[in-house]
Amino acid sequence: MIKKLALLVVFLAILGGLFFWWLTSPAYLAPSEIASLPDGDAVAGERIFHAGGCAACHAVPKSEGDKRFELPGGVELATPFGTFVAPNISQHQTDGIGGWTLADFANAMLKGISPGGDHYYPAFPYTSYARMSGQDIADLYAFLKTTPSIAGAAPGHKLGFPFNIRRGLGLWKLVNLSGEPVIALQGDTSEQVQIGRYLVEGPGHCGECHSPRDFGGAILTDQWLAGAVAAEGEGIVPNITAGEGGIGGWSETDIAYYLETGFTPEFDSVGGAMVEVQRNMAALSAEDRAAIASYLKAVPERPNGYPAKR
Amino acid sequence: MKKFALALSVIALSSTAVSAGGHLTGNDAVDTRKALMQAVGAAAGAAGGMMKGEIDYNPAVANAAIAAMRGAAYSFGAFFPEGTDSVKGTTASAKIWEDADGFAAAAAKFKADIDAASAAAGKDGPADLDAFKAAIGPVFANCKSCHEGYRVKN
Repeated sequence: MIKKLALLVVFLAILGGLFFWWLTSPAYLAPSEIASLPDGDAVAGERIFHAGGCAACHAVPKSEGDKRFELPGGVELATPFGTFVAPNISQHQTDGIGGWTLADFANAMLKGISPGGDHYYPAFPYTSYARMSGQDIADLYAFLKTTPSIAGAAPGHKLGFPFNIRRGLGLWKLVNLSGEPVIALQGDTSEQVQIGRYLVEGPGHCGECHSPRDFGGAILTDQWLAGAVAAEGEGIVPNITAGEGGIGGWSETDIAYYLETGFTPEFDSVGGAMVEVQRNMAALSAEDRAAIASYLKAVPERPNGYPAKR
Repeated sequence: MKKFALALSVIALSSTAVSAGGHLTGNDAVDTRKALMQAVGAAAGAAGGMMKGEIDYNPAVANAAIAAMRGAAYSFGAFFPEGTDSVKGTTASAKIWEDADGFAAAAAKFKADIDAASAAAGKDGPADLDAFKAAIGPVFANCKSCHEGYRVKN
């Protein structure tokens, strides 16, 4: 009897292990989705490079001019889950992503999967990039091909148990990875607001810092853009909805001006990690900044997503 | 418009007066440096309003804005005694003390840039808006670069 029970336990453990393995296996793009990726345009891809804020983590901090297209990685993000280190995404064949195919790149950006089949940590914001169009993925790939090759792999992440088990991210992604928009817009919404939604929710990945998360790191979409305790660094990330504590007093022109120049309507200046973000926003067209502003005026009002001041 | 210019001059004068107060501690230091930064903010508001075209350009207002910022640039660095990153109400980052040399260099750059703007403006202020923009532009860049590393939102 006891022998039989023991056998049953072992059998169930093996079954559970297989079930976990199956659940957490990487969910690649379908071959048809890969086949339908269009040819990329490097010039159009530069817009996506800026919108996506790639340089913020992958370029050397405070780089100016063409140095912003040198992408050796190395920026550290110290979070409650551990310290993440941005990898080299330069065109180096082995240290960077120079050897990647468009399919490899699309699986990384849209599914958070490495060419070797590992899950990426969502410190790389593929949870937002998953909302990007195939055209923009192809354009960005083409643009990155024009950036230089830089030797030297960045060091690995420094994570404690259980966050160091990459395989477990498969479960996290089942719950948290979707290419669907966060904010449903009515059918008659202007094209400008729709472009803004795409830029903010997709490549811009604004919600990754401006929205609060639960203990498992899942974004609380019912507090979308309501501000949050900084996941990285000190202090808070502000509420950018029109709710209490937010930017309801800002006009669309004010928001666009801030993204262009870094000055609030009161002429306080941009600060912290947003300085780098604003630098990227300033590289977009006035139309794109206006689109972002009109979307931010259209998102639901929420009170601050972080505790009151200390 | 004249009232606005007058208000700015008052801000400019008060900032220089405060700088003579010297090394305060704790809450007083925090209150002082916040008042100085608010003077800079108000001056930037007037300058920015003219640059955006919301306020008509006026050389006297331009000069008042430059003078207010200059007064603060000469004094605010003296009001960051160690330990005041934890005082309630401050948005100063601990990096100010961890990277004291970097912060001192940033403060010195602000001072040098506003000195240059002041020299370019002369006694009567920049002649036109373009001259003003050329003078104040490099000063404005200091706001962002210093707030990037040394200020925390909370």
